[in-house]
Amino acid sequence: MPDKNKLGVGLFLFSEAWFFVTLLIAYAYFHSLPANGPSAGNSLNVLHTLIFSICLFASSATIHMAARSFERGERTGVTGWLSVTVALGAIFLFGQAREYIGLFAHGVTISTNLFGSTFFTLTGFHGLHVFGGLIALSTLLGVTMDGQLGEVKPSGFESIAIYWHFVDAVWVVIFAVVYLWPLVA
Amino acid sequence: MKDAAIPGPTAIESFEQEAHEGWLAWVSSVDHKQLGIMYLLGAFVFFLVGGVLALLMRIQLAVPNNHFLTPQMYNQIFTMHGTTMIFLVVVPLLVGMATYMVPLMIGARDMAFPRLNALSFWVQIFGGIMLYFSFATSGINGGAPAVGWFAYAPLTETAYSYGPGVNYWILGLLGIGVGTLTAGINLMTTILTMRAPGMHIRRLPLFVWMTLVTGFLIVTVMPILNAGLVMLLADRLLNAHFFRADTGGSAVLWQHVFWAFGHPEVYIMVLPAFGIISEVIPVFSGKPIYGYEVVAASTLAIAFLSMLVWAHHMFAVGLGHTFDIFFALCSMAIAVPTGIKIFNWTATMYQGRVRFTTAMLYAVSFLLMFTIGGLSGIAFAVAPIDWQLTDSYFVVAHFHYVLFGGTALALFAGVYYWFPKMSGRMLDERWGKVQFWLTFIGFNLTFMIQHVLGMFGMPRRVFTYPPLPGWEAMNMISTIGAFVLALAVLVLMINIVISLRSGEIAGDNPWSAWTLEWATTSPPPPENFTRVPPVNGRRPLWDLAHPDRTDEMLARAAG
Amino acid sequence: MPGTYSSNAFTLAPASPQALAISNLFIGTLYFLGAILILVTGLVLYAIIRYRDRPGAPEAKQVFGSMRLEILWTAAPVLSLAVLATFMARTMMASDPPSAGDRPDIRLVAHQWWWEIIYLKSGATAANEIHIPAGKRLLFDFRSADVIHDFWVPALGRKIDVVPGHPNRLWIEADKPGTYLGACAEFCGNEHAWMRIMVIADPPDQFATWLKQQSAAPAKPVTAEEQLGAKIFRDRICTNCHLRGVGPDLTHIATRRTLAAGVADNTPQNLATWLHDPNTFKPGSNMPDFKLSDDEVHALVAYLETQK
Repeated sequence: MPDKNKLGVGLFLFSEAWFFVTLLIAYAYFHSLPANGPSAGNSLNVLHTLIFSICLFASSATIHMAARSFERGERTGVTGWLSVTVALGAIFLFGQAREYIGLFAHGVTISTNLFGSTFFTLTGFHGLHVFGGLIALSTLLGVTMDGQLGEVKPSGFESIAIYWHFVDAVWVVIFAVVYLWPLVA
Repeated sequence: MKDAAIPGPTAIESFEQEAHEGWLAWVSSVDHKQLGIMYLLGAFVFFLVGGVLALLMRIQLAVPNNHFLTPQMYNQIFTMHGTTMIFLVVVPLLVGMATYMVPLMIGARDMAFPRLNALSFWVQIFGGIMLYFSFATSGINGGAPAVGWFAYAPLTETAYSYGPGVNYWILGLLGIGVGTLTAGINLMTTILTMRAPGMHIRRLPLFVWMTLVTGFLIVTVMPILNAGLVMLLADRLLNAHFFRADTGGSAVLWQHVFWAFGHPEVYIMVLPAFGIISEVIPVFSGKPIYGYEVVAASTLAIAFLSMLVWAHHMFAVGLGHTFDIFFALCSMAIAVPTGIKIFNWTATMYQGRVRFTTAMLYAVSFLLMFTIGGLSGIAFAVAPIDWQLTDSYFVVAHFHYVLFGGTALALFAGVYYWFPKMSGRMLDERWGKVQFWLTFIGFNLTFMIQHVLGMFGMPRRVFTYPPLPGWEAMNMISTIGAFVLALAVLVLMINIVISLRSGEIAGDNPWSAWTLEWATTSPPPPENFTRVPPVNGRRPLWDLAHPDRTDEMLARAAG
Repeated sequence: MPGTYSSNAFTLAPASPQALAISNLFIGTLYFLGAILILVTGLVLYAIIRYRDRPGAPEAKQVFGSMRLEILWTAAPVLSLAVLATFMARTMMASDPPSAGDRPDIRLVAHQWWWEIIYLKSGATAANEIHIPAGKRLLFDFRSADVIHDFWVPALGRKIDVVPGHPNRLWIEADKPGTYLGACAEFCGNEHAWMRIMVIADPPDQFATWLKQQSAAPAKPVTAEEQLGAKIFRDRICTNCHLRGVGPDLTHIATRRTLAAGVADNTPQNLATWLHDPNTFKPGSNMPDFKLSDDEVHALVAYLETQK
């Protein structure tokens, strides 16, 4: 029988996937209509975003390393890799904040037009999920640094790791749909 | 599981004993049985509120050009009636039944995540209370939301609904939705990871199986609603443009998102009810369910198809014949697995010994009333008929036949069936029969005539109507029926109160039923079972009582 | 309050080819569904009577199912629904014929809570009561000025949503002269119930006369009272809404049968009541209470009654 913690988190992520799919469909629908004003093509800096996106993608690798250290019971490995993961996630959020501020400065907000409405809603909710993940990771890091690694259930650690991979995977899709699509269309 | 005798009381058990008494114990409980009862009680309170709202509507509609309610009041009332009955009554009643019964039926000690279970319940209750706070908002723009339970845009945009009512609707539903979603995750995980040894998926009681499939629907579609809700909230509070046609948004997008949730939601509201019927009819026929595998498989078919029919709610929007035909065909298709179930339930009674307990009366009447609702549903699947009758009283009749004639009657059956297990006492059968007949007569009196009202052109959601020929008499009949129904509900409350006080003691298995919940005391002890019987088939207690002709032997003999 | 309504609004009393197509399909479907209901009811009642528990009744037979029966009661519904589906497709064509290449004759703009009618060829505008020539098929074009509404006249055919940002079209005709009642059928706010529709099919020559009259310039007020009314109509800025499509065009209001989309008969008395306070008839109506004096109301009524 499947492990209940992993199944529970898996089902939760399955439901979150549908949430993001709906927001993505709304984004894609409005993006496909002819429109004036700020748009993905003329307002976003794909290169800048790519840089902090790579940090997020890399954090999936680092949390995987943390999980391997956890399996082997290596406390320093766990704290090391978890710290890097948290740092990379924080860089992502910092990059996103800078992007938002830049857009606001150019008069692009959620109420400007449909691009603004769909862009900020979609990336905003993703950012919130990253933030939630960082809280979970930091808690895990704190527990580990406190010497309580033995208290952490394997399925608990894995559940947080699965969540983090999910957040990453969602960003792969969002990055493609929002940032790469105008480059190919 | 454990075969040993009950160990003597220990410090831990005494603590558990203490923890289960008093009001505070209930509030802090994470026990699935107590939470199940709280779900049922909370939903029943909202049922009374939603019912009063319905009675107010029916008083207003009893005569043409009535001034009992202002249009503003009426519009808030019909919105809250629908929202309450769906989100705060039917779903929590079904979730509550499942929360109580599923762990018992699979031989488990509790649900997979007991603390999450408590969160689900309390968040749902508080979401509901917050929704009702909207009635207390004052001023000319105050009041509850007045946009209908499916809240079409752009009526829900700030420009056309300036007060805070719609914000309460959104936030209330987000809260309630968290409760439903986490309950779905909890139930699915419980069923998939905590079954007693021997209880393979193919031996699941059908109520558990249908709850599992319902859980899948919940985790798939509640988030779709959530996405729609946050987009609408962004429009209202942050001046976004998702659904504002005047600034480039799309009113139709709201409908797609809402009904992508909304149609599977109605199957969430009916599949567990099908599960109750699948337990009750075999027990009171004295034989196993006919076609277990087909009934189980048809449930999967319904769940799959339910996600392909949403735009049958949008036939009148004018999205093109090709579009309409696709959704019409899928909607007709979903009638097939549903009909298969009706035939299998009926066949279960053949060559049985049918006992007319109140639970069975409700189950049998479910077969007929749900069939009526399902058939009017097929009428709506035929797009041109929908083009005439959607948004009229014909559709109001249809959905009340499936939701009340279907789900509510099944829930009454479930209450009479499982009340003895939950409380240790039988509900009085004489009061039960009085309640049954009042319900049956009141329900049909209220809603059958509404089919005709719809054919006569009466639109839905109107606070009053002109004195057109026949409309007055038909509305009056419907109003009288509503009050008969109200009387039936009072009788149920009386029955519950007197039965709790002095009902016949139930014992472990008053119905001679066969699933695991009947293999423990009534009510069960905190740990549910002292001993879980061996599970070698779908009816463990039948196998125990008939070791010479277990289900496995009977099936082999049948070839 | 509204007086007598002589015509029914009944889906089974079709008054157009489109409504007839749907009505025939509906009746056939009702027979089909009725037969199924009788079958199921018969099976259930037979079961509970024949196999009821009573002294001496045989033991319940422990049977588990029959694949043959399952196939039978799967195949039969599938086949009958397939037949129903073919009838459905034919009826869709008959009741909602294509209109993509055609030019609309009448534009209906739905407002909260009234209908604006524009005769596209002549430019005449009207409100709430839609005159059409009997026996002729006209293409209606539907727009919304605010929220989603719905146009439903059961005797003439299907209903169609009126969606902001998504114009719709529908062919509408009436076989014979007569009055056909309908209503807005998508909840659109406070006074949704009183956004009623009246389609008046005139014999073609009568229609032509009516249209000419509607296209004519507004009548000039004659008596002193009427002239005072006209002046008040301008000074109190009634024109701000009523000449700009925010409120119904009143140029020919005296020819209409009802006021405010069907909420009251069009009599001088009712008109006066409305002007004193629109909320008497239609609480929540978008027309504010201008707190007009009795004399002002009197003069306005006199003026408006000249607007034929």
